[in-house]
Amino acid sequence: MSPELEKCPRSLLVCEKSNFMNEKSRHDIHVSKHSFNYKISVLIPECAVLPANISGVISNFSPYYLVRDLPVYELLQEKSYETVLQKGTVYAVSYNTKIDEDNSIALLPSVVTLNLRDKTLAPGTKRYQRVLSGLKDRLPLRYDFLFTEHNTGGDEDNSLYNLLSQYKPIEHKAVLSHHTLKNLPCPTLYPSDLQGTTLSCDPHSFLEWLGAVNLDISCENAADSFLSTYICPEPKSSVSQALLCTITGFISPEDVYLLLQELRYDLKHCCRFPERCFLTMTKLYISHKLFFNCTSCAHRKYFDEPKFTPWLSLTVHGFMDSPVSWGATEHGFLKGGENFYNLVCFKNQDYWLHMATGAHDGCPP
Amino acid sequence: MEEPTTFERHVYKNASVYHYMKISLDLENGKRSFSDAQFKQLIISALKELYGEVGAAFPFDLLKFDPSSLKAILRVYNKGLVKLWSALTLLGSYQNEACAFRVIQVSPFLLALSGNSRELQFGESLTS
Amino acid sequence: MVRFKSRYLLCEVCVPERNSLQLLDERAIHHTLRAAVNRAHGDYGSALFNIGVNVKYLNALTGVVFIRCRKAHYRLIWSALPFITHLEDRGQTQNVQCFFNCIHVGGTIKTSQKFLAQYNRQQLHRMLLDCNTDAEKQHVRRALLSCSVGNVKREEADDEEGSDDDDE
Repeated sequence: MSPELEKCPRSLLVCEKSNFMNEKSRHDIHVSKHSFNYKISVLIPECAVLPANISGVISNFSPYYLVRDLPVYELLQEKSYETVLQKGTVYAVSYNTKIDEDNSIALLPSVVTLNLRDKTLAPGTKRYQRVLSGLKDRLPLRYDFLFTEHNTGGDEDNSLYNLLSQYKPIEHKAVLSHHTLKNLPCPTLYPSDLQGTTLSCDPHSFLEWLGAVNLDISCENAADSFLSTYICPEPKSSVSQALLCTITGFISPEDVYLLLQELRYDLKHCCRFPERCFLTMTKLYISHKLFFNCTSCAHRKYFDEPKFTPWLSLTVHGFMDSPVSWGATEHGFLKGGENFYNLVCFKNQDYWLHMATGAHDGCPP
Repeated sequence: MEEPTTFERHVYKNASVYHYMKISLDLENGKRSFSDAQFKQLIISALKELYGEVGAAFPFDLLKFDPSSLKAILRVYNKGLVKLWSALTLLGSYQNEACAFRVIQVSPFLLALSGNSRELQFGESLTS
Repeated sequence: MVRFKSRYLLCEVCVPERNSLQLLDERAIHHTLRAAVNRAHGDYGSALFNIGVNVKYLNALTGVVFIRCRKAHYRLIWSALPFITHLEDRGQTQNVQCFFNCIHVGGTIKTSQKFLAQYNRQQLHRMLLDCNTDAEKQHVRRALLSCSVGNVKREEADDEEGSDDDDE
């Protein structure tokens, strides 16, 4: 009727399919370039209890610091510059700012509008002086910042903390919460069919379903329901239980990568000796009637009954108000600030990667 | 042994048929109890007022409704997004009580609504 | 130069009794239209109705109405027409049952007028078939010729199987 009422902003979704063992696989690059991660959500079908190794990895996540009223020039002081920034594993993003108001600041390890690792920006040079005085005298910006740093395990681990100590940083740990979902309708996925032309459902339906699971939205609706007609996409099967685990905070890409490795490891070893695992587990199940480890192949299992998960999903949400999504690709909020990726890992080490950003943002890599 | 997986990459532009909206309702005199059907009826009446019987004739879903906070998640076909959004914006009263819909987040991906970093709040209990 | 493009909706108002056409006036039509657009398209429709919609011409004898509206949203007005069931007039107490039959949508008044002439001709041809006797045909012819407006006379006389001398 009125064409101007029926327009809507564009949407962009990039889907990739590959194998973790593939030499050219770029999953590690995609993960490491997504610098400002706010939330991780892991969904493991046919699993009731959070495996110990996974919770171990999560509890080892680097802490992050909230620093209030930090002057921006402080980040560029010679001391901080040399001890922390040059190492290139520090991430900082301004907190409680809105990107659409043009007041967000983020510090990337490699690329910034102000390239901190640029040689010309070495302390002492003219350009450095100019930038510093600009931020110090002309434009004394102060923001609340969130900092995190990848823990390399060396002695200098506290350098970031020491640097910030005069601004009274508050240390936070990423918050882990998990719960088990019962009798979940679940789409059936086939690793070979990413586009959902024949076997699986299409990527948008899958992401919709995943969102519904994360937001606790019911899929049980009649076609003539007044309220909602949303149903789980076809083809589907019912999963007796599934584990949904979310971690919120400021998470460095290195930590995300470690978690991904651990999830892959478990998934892989679940299926390497399925028969052996199966037998031992059944025995153990009878004797202990409790959660157990599979002893024959020495790997911890997801199951408290002999069922195997064909896939698991890892979703990583970026900060909506981060100025960049991947690498130095520009990102804005506009109406939703979507900035996330989702990895579906299959038993045979195939994976699907879905990457999405907002309407006016740069295309994901 | 299966064949090794080949690399595939697809870029979907405007392939999503739906948009999802996270909204909340503010009432002048504080909260009052709403059922989910009443809430949807309120939105439909807002649509009818602004776009009439013909203009409001498009489907949308109330995916989730939280009666305590009056927050809801809607799903609407792309075609109806502008109409729905504008009708929500222009609704001014409910049963002679001033009210307003706040649109918190709109996205073509439902998944994006589950990770809203603006909800990150620091309670005092987290300090160490 | 920028000009606003218009669309002219040529409509026939159909009423159960022919003499009630006399009750039509432009204000009543405008009012009825506005009410119909408001019901079908709400406040948004009313707002668009307020810009650029007016009743250009009304023939209370034949029930022909020209409605002018902006080209950008003529569909909106157009789509509301079938929902009209009676004339709503504030002044008059009686409601006239009617429906609007939109017979043409044109870009200018001229094309619409041409269409109207052609349409009337067609109608006449159709109705002449109902004349069973020569006497009836003669009666129609006389009625046509007695029309005082020259243009009407000329055009409609043409229709009468070319037997007329009134070409000019």
